[in-house]
Amino acid sequence: MKRKAITSILLVAVLATSLFAGGAKETALTTKNIRIAEQVPGLITPGVWDGQAFSMNSSIYEYLVEINTSTGELDPVLATEWSTADGKQWTFKLRENVLFHDGSTFDSQDVKFTIERTQDPSIGHLKKQDFEIVASIETPDSHTVLINLKEARPTFIYQLTDYNMCILSSDYDYSSLGESKPMGTGPFIMKQMIPKESAALVKNTSYWQAGLPKVDALSIYFVSDIDASVSMLEDDRVDVVPFVTPVIQTRLSKIDGISVISPYQEQRFVAMNVDEEPWDDNRVRLAFKYAMDPQNIAKSVTQMELGNGAEYNETPIMNMLSEYKPLPLRERDIEKSKALLAEAGYPDGVTVELFYASDHPFGKELAQTLKELASPAGFNLDLKGYTRDVYLSQYWLNVPLSITGWGGRIDPSMLLALAFKGGGAWNESHLADERVDALIDKISSEIDPDKRTGYYHELQELFYEEGPLLNVQVPYLVAISDRIIDYRQPLTMLPQYKYTDIK
Amino acid sequence: MKYFFYQMKKHPLSIVGISVLLLWILIAIFGPQLTSFTHTAMDAEHQMTAPGEFGHLFGTDSMGRDIMSRIIYGSRSILTVALMTSIFSTIIGILLGFTAGYFSGKIDAAFLRTMDILMAIPPLVLSMVVLGILGDSSILSLTLIVSIAFIPATARVSRGVLLTEKSQEYVSAARIRGESHFYIMFIEILPNTTGPIIVEATARFAYSIMMVASLGFLGVGLQPPTPDWGMMVIENKPIIAQAPWAVLFPALAIASLVIAISIFSDFVSKVLIHER
Amino acid sequence: MNRTLSIILRRTVSLLITLTVMSLIIFLLVEIMPGDVAQMILGQSATEEAVSALREARGLNDPVMERYFRWVGGVLTGDLGESIYMKGVTINSILWRRVGHSLVLALSAFILFVPLSIILGVLAGVKENKPTDSIISFLGLATMALPEFVSGVFLITIFGVQLNWFPIVSIIPIGESLFNNLEILFLPALSITFVMFGYVSRMQRSSMIQVMNSDYIRAAILKGMNRKYVIFRHALKNALLPTITIIGMNMGWLFGGLVVVETLFGFPGMGSLLMTAIKTRDVPLIEACVLLITVIFSLSTMITDVLYSYLNPRVRFQGGQR
Repeated sequence: MKRKAITSILLVAVLATSLFAGGAKETALTTKNIRIAEQVPGLITPGVWDGQAFSMNSSIYEYLVEINTSTGELDPVLATEWSTADGKQWTFKLRENVLFHDGSTFDSQDVKFTIERTQDPSIGHLKKQDFEIVASIETPDSHTVLINLKEARPTFIYQLTDYNMCILSSDYDYSSLGESKPMGTGPFIMKQMIPKESAALVKNTSYWQAGLPKVDALSIYFVSDIDASVSMLEDDRVDVVPFVTPVIQTRLSKIDGISVISPYQEQRFVAMNVDEEPWDDNRVRLAFKYAMDPQNIAKSVTQMELGNGAEYNETPIMNMLSEYKPLPLRERDIEKSKALLAEAGYPDGVTVELFYASDHPFGKELAQTLKELASPAGFNLDLKGYTRDVYLSQYWLNVPLSITGWGGRIDPSMLLALAFKGGGAWNESHLADERVDALIDKISSEIDPDKRTGYYHELQELFYEEGPLLNVQVPYLVAISDRIIDYRQPLTMLPQYKYTDIK
Repeated sequence: MKYFFYQMKKHPLSIVGISVLLLWILIAIFGPQLTSFTHTAMDAEHQMTAPGEFGHLFGTDSMGRDIMSRIIYGSRSILTVALMTSIFSTIIGILLGFTAGYFSGKIDAAFLRTMDILMAIPPLVLSMVVLGILGDSSILSLTLIVSIAFIPATARVSRGVLLTEKSQEYVSAARIRGESHFYIMFIEILPNTTGPIIVEATARFAYSIMMVASLGFLGVGLQPPTPDWGMMVIENKPIIAQAPWAVLFPALAIASLVIAISIFSDFVSKVLIHER
Repeated sequence: MNRTLSIILRRTVSLLITLTVMSLIIFLLVEIMPGDVAQMILGQSATEEAVSALREARGLNDPVMERYFRWVGGVLTGDLGESIYMKGVTINSILWRRVGHSLVLALSAFILFVPLSIILGVLAGVKENKPTDSIISFLGLATMALPEFVSGVFLITIFGVQLNWFPIVSIIPIGESLFNNLEILFLPALSITFVMFGYVSRMQRSSMIQVMNSDYIRAAILKGMNRKYVIFRHALKNALLPTITIIGMNMGWLFGGLVVVETLFGFPGMGSLLMTAIKTRDVPLIEACVLLITVIFSLSTMITDVLYSYLNPRVRFQGGQR
């Protein structure tokens, strides 16, 4: 008994001393280090990279071109010049004197390898379909690439900004090493990674752009709970937290030294399946639209005002794109909704199941808001929320009504073909309208930008009158410490840490 | 009955416990009629308002929903699941435990081995993995899975009491009379074993509440819009600095219910076991 | 001693059988998941081909039993496989570090609640029905009713929002180890302690009361022996014997509590790894984590039982019953 008491006291003493010992830590302030807390990544090998952990990959890998966050135009990165006469043959001039992190030289073989890799069936490359349009690739010399397409696609260059299209080394074994030792030409090199916990990146001293990157190291923490990440930011244990919610923004607004910025917006498509009742009747679709209250949606879902962080329209084109044509917002009209429903044969209302991913940001909130708004008009929405993978693999594309998150795209034409063309791979609304298909084809092949914009406007009007879609644009928010200077993140979702500095 | 009240007077704490429990049951049954708000109505104008303002006695959460209504509504699901779980696991426990204890030998050995296996995984881990994998937690699946996790405990208690009774004279008397096994087990023995079994059932009731709340916290409890108290806590943790009531009230609800049931369980244990 | 050895042997065999059956159950359970793992990995943008290509590449199309034996074979040779997300990264490299962390956390919780529960439980038992007892009993009752995440959230509010004495997110800074950062253990360990204290102290109290009411103790006191002396020399020894069993009985809650607390505080342990694995449907990782938790849990129950048999003279020398 005495022994037990003594042992316990000893152990308590040990614990106590270590508690205090732990407090005396040194901080090495000679190197500039940006600390980031982001979500736990899934797969990170380019090609199958599922769109998490953007900070890490965007700093290790590079692309042919990138988007300039001030102008919205394309900047040369690994490609210094690019041109096409007919939209069918593309010529790229590559940057010279660029080295991969393993010391090998970057040349046209690497570009060829990267693009041809999309067609490799053993990889399951996410961009395989997009790049099926490539007929052949020629490499006349070590820094010139000729890409021949099967048909004219004036917007082809934008496909190369997709986050999965970073340039890989043709000599590196990405299938074995891609997950544990990512290797590219980027401004930072992977020093150490503890899977699912953290990654330590250091400055690439042989980086091709003089003076960049501005800091010496990136420390990335993988934290699954956003609240924990934000607490770390508040405690000054990290400097950047991407993907925060508007509620957190309100919380941080009271704290000095931290700001929340919105580099771009994402979309949430509410898609009505026109192959199924009741959505096959346009009157029902209109009835639903008339039950909506965009201001309420913005506030309830995103806690932001409509037009100031959150947007809403009934077309697949986002409000901030140059191709967008502003169409009048409908006034909420419950009586009209009810009348339309009755006309279509549903005088007592209708019950519809609404499927969505419950763990995706804004999903739950949007589903519940829609339910509340549509109910007075006679729409009884039966909410079916599932975790994202279950939703995507079992329900998406096959249900009467769904909410799905879509990233914005600098060039919306790719999205149109996939989501709204008859037979498209991701056609949630099962839309198969000849006029829509024709317009989409014209958009993809039209070289003259003004004419293209005209087609976009026509398409939008069609959607407004008869379309099966609600497009809720939600803010993508990043919380950063005020010590961070020049944080850049374009619509491609790839942050450009090479330009970022820290005080 | 008079005995109950007599005992209650001797242990004043039990009066508190039983009253709180009764209160929660009443809330679960009649509650929804008491509030003027529904548990899903989102008031965009009144998000994160403090208790007492705008008619929201417990305040609102980040989506403008009335917390009191959500707690009241949530009490239904949590009490239903907990009640069904304790009843279900007790019944199955009796069936398994009695059979094993009565027939002894190989059946008993098989039973013990199976229980060993089931007990090799901590109950919360088992429930969490199964529910997480299923992806969709309804009242039914929650009840089923938590019951399975609890069966070893109830079965063990049942077996224990059966073994104690088996050697009693009235059992041999029944055997001599030629009664069937079923008759002996459930008509003769069962009534004499209610004490410990009921006590165990009430303990299971308390544990179920904690399990369901923890599962909700981990994200595998009841899905929205059904308010799950555990999920309310984790959902509102990010705004704990701005709206602490959104976390406090669900937490207090959980705590008060479990304490009440625990007091009740203690009390039942004192009464029934002394009676023997 | 022979007795104890035979008990250990018997229990080990039983443990192995249990684990084998358990491994099959775990494997089957995880494999019948709704939702396609490959689809999950590739995300929304995946095409049919991409998904089937990945299934093929990860060997997901092979028959179930074949995959099971492949897995078991691997486990027995120490190879827990690769995370479905990380080709080239073995689960071993991720898991063992976390297991170590969790054990340290469990140990910290132990150090906190064991002495506290025993001392206060005994005290309450000795002073039965007096004010000290009422206070301690009520404390036990109250803390017992707080699931770990509830007490954790309260602790976060007090220490994080108000006082700022301890870190409320238990993450290890890059480049450092747990041992440089022991302060991150405190709040999570404290959260677990609350519940465990509740249970253990109450049981310790009943055990003490039982002993105090036993014939020989009462006789000793009636005979006029010094009460304190009786308590310390005789009663305590007997009251403490079931303590091991009591703690053993509540190990299940400790493990469940670990998972909850690690998730809440972001502590890099086995529990949070399991949560991540479930959320991302990382099949091999789920299997490895659950298997490991089962092994450690079963081992700890076995050790408790064996310890009890060893320390309890009745069992040790006469061969008690299960």
